[in-house]
Amino acid sequence: MKMLCRSGRGVRKLSEYLLEMKGIMKSFNDNPVLKNVDFDVKPGEVHALMGENGAGKSTLIKILTGIYPKDGGEIFFDGQSVEINNKNDASKLGISCIYQELSLIPTLTVTQNIMLGKEKRIGGFLNKGKMRKEVVELINRYGFHLNPDANVESLTIGQRQTVEILKALSEQSRLIIMDEPTASLSSKESDALFEIIGNLRNNGVSVIYISHRLEEVYRLADRLTVLRDGVREAVLEKDEIVPAEVVRLMIGKELKHSSQSNEFRVSDQPVSLEVKNLTRKGVFHDISFQAHRGEILGFAGLVGAGRTEIVRCIYGADPYDSGQIFFEGKEIKPSIPANIERGFGLVPEDRRGQGFTPLLSIERNVALTNYDTLARNGVVNAGAERRLGNEMVEKLSIRPFDSQIPVGNLSGGNQQKAVVAKWLSRDMKVMIIDEPTAGIDIGAKDEIYRILEDFASRGTTVLLVSSDIQEIMKVSHRILVVTKGAIFKEFSNGRITEEDLMMAEFGIDEEEAEKNG
Amino acid sequence: MGENAKSGTASGSFKKLLKSPRLWILIVTIAVLSVLQPGVFLTRANMISILLSISIYGIMVCGTIFPILLGGIDLSVGAVAAAAGAACVVTIVNHDFSNPSVLTGVLFGLGIGLLVGLAHGIIVSTFSVPPFLITLASQYIVYGIAQLLTQNNVIACMKPATFAFLGGGRPFGIPFSIIIMAVMALISYFILNRTVFGRTVYAVGGNVEASRLSGVRSRMVIIVCYMFSGLTSALAGIVLASMNRQAIAKAAQGYDNFVLTALVVGGASLMGGEGNITGAIWGAFLVGMVSNGLRLLGIASEYHGIFKCIVIVAAVSLDATMRYRKSGLQRRRRRKVSVS
Repeated sequence: MKMLCRSGRGVRKLSEYLLEMKGIMKSFNDNPVLKNVDFDVKPGEVHALMGENGAGKSTLIKILTGIYPKDGGEIFFDGQSVEINNKNDASKLGISCIYQELSLIPTLTVTQNIMLGKEKRIGGFLNKGKMRKEVVELINRYGFHLNPDANVESLTIGQRQTVEILKALSEQSRLIIMDEPTASLSSKESDALFEIIGNLRNNGVSVIYISHRLEEVYRLADRLTVLRDGVREAVLEKDEIVPAEVVRLMIGKELKHSSQSNEFRVSDQPVSLEVKNLTRKGVFHDISFQAHRGEILGFAGLVGAGRTEIVRCIYGADPYDSGQIFFEGKEIKPSIPANIERGFGLVPEDRRGQGFTPLLSIERNVALTNYDTLARNGVVNAGAERRLGNEMVEKLSIRPFDSQIPVGNLSGGNQQKAVVAKWLSRDMKVMIIDEPTAGIDIGAKDEIYRILEDFASRGTTVLLVSSDIQEIMKVSHRILVVTKGAIFKEFSNGRITEEDLMMAEFGIDEEEAEKNG
Repeated sequence: MGENAKSGTASGSFKKLLKSPRLWILIVTIAVLSVLQPGVFLTRANMISILLSISIYGIMVCGTIFPILLGGIDLSVGAVAAAAGAACVVTIVNHDFSNPSVLTGVLFGLGIGLLVGLAHGIIVSTFSVPPFLITLASQYIVYGIAQLLTQNNVIACMKPATFAFLGGGRPFGIPFSIIIMAVMALISYFILNRTVFGRTVYAVGGNVEASRLSGVRSRMVIIVCYMFSGLTSALAGIVLASMNRQAIAKAAQGYDNFVLTALVVGGASLMGGEGNITGAIWGAFLVGMVSNGLRLLGIASEYHGIFKCIVIVAAVSLDATMRYRKSGLQRRRRRKVSVS
């Protein structure tokens, strides 16, 4: 192999591709994530990479940038076989990945950030004039709008991203990887980014663009690769990129599993929670829905669509700008303590950051929401506290069976059970649960589903946010699909397939499409 | 968690006490000092003298532990003590040393402590200013107030007897300041271990956002914690002024350091969420005993700081190692929570 490559270098045939990844294999714990994947990028093209969560996109990119070693396969850059063992190898080749503001130092200026680690010197002193000149040249060459002397902390997230891109370009990058670059950008900032990407293309820089937003891909991409279950499903040329088709490729032709949903319907129980035109500027707008007693109402959508933000506002964790929330017919102004008294509860998305206090025992964590019954005149009834902790450990089989263990020392699934246990002994009216099974094992998942059904059967309204399509179809009684901060579609009538839901999550209305098409 | 998380049976806690490295460190220290100073160290008179010297710190520690548990800090304790002592003495002096003025003076002093704490609490919980900065700044402000109150003089106050009793009285032969310390320690212990408020202090200190989402009014908790810290500092300052029979702006200089040392030696984590009052009092004892022993040994005061700190580092390292082993768990890196 090596001999061949050497001779290849001698001939230096001009490859059509800037990057070729061939037969890439990767497994984690005998669990294949990439199965013989080919992927190639031409010079000066924007190449979109798409796939469901877990399809292998991130793993492929991490192999390309030297974060993970590959188990098999070869990478060619500029026609030459290369080994990328770490980030340095990647950046020497001219491959860089844009992270959101992560690698910038907020207190330094744009110029200082870009020149960080490659400062120009005269004698032992910094040559500030020369560095600034280089940065200005770079800004002008690619037609960016940026003040080289601005402090990074004064910039918007979009501008910071531009600095990241400039930093990559200053290192002679020829291939820039952008992973969900518009996730936290406003539409105006996104437009600015698209213009920059256009300029990069015109200057011969290639871009690998990873995004869930089909319309962006449709607008930007010269080619598109779809990954599914660790296999390259298709490579599409620009004129072959049709949104509905792309989604179908991502899900796969044959429907996964039985993949039928519940029989969705509108509950005939009384309405417990009603939301009218709830708006938080720049996050979500005009959210209106009714949720019934004993109903599990699913909020489906892509990450970043605004589902978490909506339910947090209803819970009282964040403020909103306009709209109304009614609980049992009366308008309420949400505040967390008042809502908890009303029978609301939240299992937040960010378990470790918001769900529990890691140093405190299971018992103390569970008790925190229950002192209205566990204490009298502010004095804790330690016996009752202990009993509740033990009861929950037993009921949810939180392992190890010891309510005195700090929650921070438990496994993810058991941590989640401890968070759920906070609400389990209460008379719950509205249970909000956000990505309840992210990163937990199958056994714990089933336990959580059982608890949700239990809540519903006792008349609690459950608002379930989940990005797991199979989960939300299986558990919900009715589904609202949120896209870009608004309710895009409601599934409340009969069964649906994974494909139906996925299309809606991507903002494609099939009925509309059929009518028009 | 410290042992406060577990309240077992009486015999269980006694067994736990015997296993506690802290007890053994204390016993070894006493033994070493007794051997080095036969017939001097381990006497009733010297023990009382040690107790007297640590009672002031001991009172402070009972309140200052609260901001520490939140992951905050209160650096103003020495200044608050001085200002409160000065306020009390000045009031008494201005009212001809009358008995009722003792009460007004004490209330005035405590009021200063509460007000300073209230200001800390509001600023820390409303603006995201690090508590370190706020309390460092107010240390100088409050010290300035103490200077204004005393006009930068030493104000003597030998009367009335009720005032002198606070720091010098000996009901049943026990110094009254020790009784105050014991009462404050019991109050703190009760609050931290038996009340909902105490539970929420640990919860907020361990994870503010999780506590907020669980319905804890974390802002209120933060404010009350800083107020309690101000209150105990003021109380300590008044007792100190009574003990010295005088008010002086520099009265409690350097106490901030001592109090923090005692807390950290006693196992409180400056990251918040970890620590308890028994540990803090233990810390005050250890540091107090070591400085007393050094003085008795006739070691020049220049060396005291060096020795004290060596002992402290040794004690803290040993304590931490023992706890680490006992836990059997890898210590996780904790997310720094700004309570803050």
